[in-house]
Amino acid sequence: MNKKVITILLITVFLASGLLLAATVNLKFLHRWTQEPDRSFFEEVVKEYEALNPNVKIDIQTVSNDAFKEKIKVMLGTAEAPDVFFTWPGEFTNRFIRAGNVLDITPYMLEDGSMFHYYGSQLIPFVYEGALYGLPYRLDGKVFVYNKEIFAQAGIDSAPQTLDEFMEDLEKLAALGMKPIAFGNERPWAVSHYIAALNQKSVPEEIWEIDTDPAIGTWTDPGYVKALEIYEDLVPYFNNFTNALKHDQARVAFMQGQHAMMYLEIVEIPEIERDGPAGFIDKIGVFPFPATDGPGNQSYLVGYPEGFVVSSKTKHPEEAVDFLKFLTGKEMGRLELEMLGWFNGIKNLVSPDEVKPIVFETTQLILDSEKMVNWLDSSLHAKIWSVYSVELQKLTDLVTTPQKAMDAVIKIATEVRSEF
Amino acid sequence: MYVLPAIAFVLVFVYFPIVMNFYNSLFRMNSYSDARTFVGFKHYVRMFNDPIFYTAIKNNFLYAAFSILFQVGLGMVLAIFLEGRFIGKRMGTFFRNTLFIPSIISIPAVALLWYFIYNPQIGLLNGILGVVGLDSLKTAWLANPKTAIYSVIMMSQWQYTGYIMVLLVVAIQKIPRELYESAVIDGANEFQKAVYITIPSIKSMLAVTTIITFIGSFKLFSEIYIMTDGGPYNTTQVLGVYMYRAAFKFDEMGYGSAVAVIIFTITFLVSILQLKSFKST
Amino acid sequence: MLRRNPWYVFNKTWINALFWILMIMIIYPLFWMIINSLKTSTELFINSFAMPEKPLFKNYVDAWNMGFADFFLNSILVTATSVAVTVLLSAFCAYALARLDIRFKNTVLYLIIGGLLLSPQSALISLYRIFDVLNIYNTYFAMIVPYIAFRIPFAVFLMYGYFKDFPGDLEDAARIDGCSTFKTFLKIVMPISKPILAATAIVSSIFTWNEFLFALVFIESENLVTIPVGLSRFRDALQTNWTGMMAGIIIASLPMIIAFLFMSKAFISGLTAGSVKG
Repeated sequence: MNKKVITILLITVFLASGLLLAATVNLKFLHRWTQEPDRSFFEEVVKEYEALNPNVKIDIQTVSNDAFKEKIKVMLGTAEAPDVFFTWPGEFTNRFIRAGNVLDITPYMLEDGSMFHYYGSQLIPFVYEGALYGLPYRLDGKVFVYNKEIFAQAGIDSAPQTLDEFMEDLEKLAALGMKPIAFGNERPWAVSHYIAALNQKSVPEEIWEIDTDPAIGTWTDPGYVKALEIYEDLVPYFNNFTNALKHDQARVAFMQGQHAMMYLEIVEIPEIERDGPAGFIDKIGVFPFPATDGPGNQSYLVGYPEGFVVSSKTKHPEEAVDFLKFLTGKEMGRLELEMLGWFNGIKNLVSPDEVKPIVFETTQLILDSEKMVNWLDSSLHAKIWSVYSVELQKLTDLVTTPQKAMDAVIKIATEVRSEF
Repeated sequence: MYVLPAIAFVLVFVYFPIVMNFYNSLFRMNSYSDARTFVGFKHYVRMFNDPIFYTAIKNNFLYAAFSILFQVGLGMVLAIFLEGRFIGKRMGTFFRNTLFIPSIISIPAVALLWYFIYNPQIGLLNGILGVVGLDSLKTAWLANPKTAIYSVIMMSQWQYTGYIMVLLVVAIQKIPRELYESAVIDGANEFQKAVYITIPSIKSMLAVTTIITFIGSFKLFSEIYIMTDGGPYNTTQVLGVYMYRAAFKFDEMGYGSAVAVIIFTITFLVSILQLKSFKST
Repeated sequence: MLRRNPWYVFNKTWINALFWILMIMIIYPLFWMIINSLKTSTELFINSFAMPEKPLFKNYVDAWNMGFADFFLNSILVTATSVAVTVLLSAFCAYALARLDIRFKNTVLYLIIGGLLLSPQSALISLYRIFDVLNIYNTYFAMIVPYIAFRIPFAVFLMYGYFKDFPGDLEDAARIDGCSTFKTFLKIVMPISKPILAATAIVSSIFTWNEFLFALVFIESENLVTIPVGLSRFRDALQTNWTGMMAGIIIASLPMIIAFLFMSKAFISGLTAGSVKG
């Protein structure tokens, strides 16, 4: 063969592959589920999307939960920023929005009307200053999950509605010789869920909404101290070594029937079904955090959806948003429910008879809730949360008082305000 | 030509970052945006007013004190025993190698192992206490502010005493045999031989090990990060974790840099001592 | 004789007893971890002391499949590259400084050895920013580069002493035979220096294999992390699959332990020569 032909051939191949490369859109996709079956679910989503869109190549990256909170901040500052990434809506995401790291997807959502496929209540958390930034991947809310058998043993026939009833029931359960509430607070996000509920119930809504804004929040309302006092009363009913146990370890004890109830996220119910002893899932019921006589709204539910957003630095906004819609859309939502047991934010995803009653019931609890209250840890400025969480761990060990704890929070809030 | 690549690496990736670090400590900046504001020495003022900073330094010193006591002190006693007449040669090698093994396992692996050992429910330690009837001593070792820092400290002693011991064993083996022979003729017993010959002869190695143990205590990070992350309520905070948390959790890179300057200063000053003691050997 | 002396017997007894107690303290926790790594989670939660009913090697397979295979490969890749480059560059540098006539010899020597005084932690934040600018954040280079940079001072320090005491005759002979400096170095110096090269390589390998802080900060993708960071993230990911976690710890620790058991002499001489902890 002659050299010229080979050269020409080579050049053609080069050019062709170059063109192909240019036409390929590479997206980086970051989520926080490193274990099975979640990992496979995302792989499946990407596979299906790539099959539908042969010109798009998606590179999946994962960082597990606790590390994620630290890593995402760092990554967004770098050239390595992912195009589509997981996030918790609220202050956790809002500071990235303020720093200009997140793409406003409102026009893309209105363009094809896909905005209206989602439950409005589940989109609101992703709205910042009138623009939509993300889409919900799974609904979540915090409820007490209780063991019906143990409740029956203690002679409790209906789930408590008010705090007074709740305290009475705890007394009855304790009389069985057990610690009624399973609670693992090694990582203090666990206690933050209790406090989010109690703060919201004990403090007028306008006030706690102001206080979550680090630039103006003062945290001086007496309701915050009241909330901690109620929490303090619950402490004797927790299992031992609360601050030493991981949430999951406490959950194992609950599933083994050592404790009567646990404050859990709704998304954990499918996990209980998977990991718990056979038949355990049919023994449990749920009730929302009991109402107090505080000035806050008593029918809100703690819990926020989790979702995904698009980076404002992406080179391919069209494709990135399209993938985001696919990921949180109906088809993948059904797959998600089938593989993982979770609901995304799409309206009427399934009919009631397609899933276990308890799953449908708890999901309905979220959708019926007047309003969702964001997780405390992701709604607070990192520095305020660092002090708040330490004080809450102390209070869980009963080595501080509610008043002292809030004094410390007020002090750090003042310091943070001065930085704005 | 021959030295260029090496010196380039060291200058660009060791010296330059450390100089930059001084500079960065004078600014407020975070990781997800490019904005930076000059704040002068504000970070240092804040640091010296933060009680957690003092807890951290105190813990580093506590760590150093225990490590020197166990790793160098106990390590020396064990080394002398190993090289003495009471332990046979083959047994000696077995003991020495076994004691050395924990030091070549990575710190995260050892820290996780001990994290399980200290678990209040399934852990080995509470289990053993239960077996020997000391139930009253059972506690959540890593979550109890009274025991947490000591629990982490003891893990490091478990891991590194054997390592320092081996360094001292090697030093003892280098002592000329004649010294001992003449001592035996003079009727010295084992204890006297240790005090009058062995210890003085390995003096410089003792100094070196003391210093590296000290510096190690100020580089402390992984053990705390994995086992307690500074908790319960910051009682196990150390400088390394304090810096990491400021820079990568709270987005205060400038403040983190200021903490790094303190770590640098302490380890640098002590390292100069080390270099001096190397020279004298 | 002395041997029958009751004091001797007494001392021998308690000292040996002391060592056996220490042996138990070292070995039992490791043994405890091994037996638990072969159990189901339920068995562990019921009684962590009991022997597994039926050894469950599945935990190892699971750990391996759930990421350890990747972590392992990454560790090997990063360790091999950094150690090879470190040893090579340091050998060049130390040889030149010790044997050749070059300018600013002392300045360079002090600069490099001075690197020993600087703790990696104080460079952490700036390095992170530098890697970001260089666009190597979250790549293998973000580990390899600082590992090399922070190991060179140590390696040069070790080798410099060795090359300095090296008999000059061989080199002279080679030079008379017309060898270039480079060739002399390659053909004569390197082969003779094998022990010190090996010692440096071993110490650097232990350091790199076990390094945690840089790997933690400079890498975010799960598929790039090395074993130590992989292990710590594993804990979050696995929730209460602690038996799998223990299997992971064992997988992570075995290579170094095995290497040590086979080459304990080289390990010990390498570490003593350096006298620098991780």
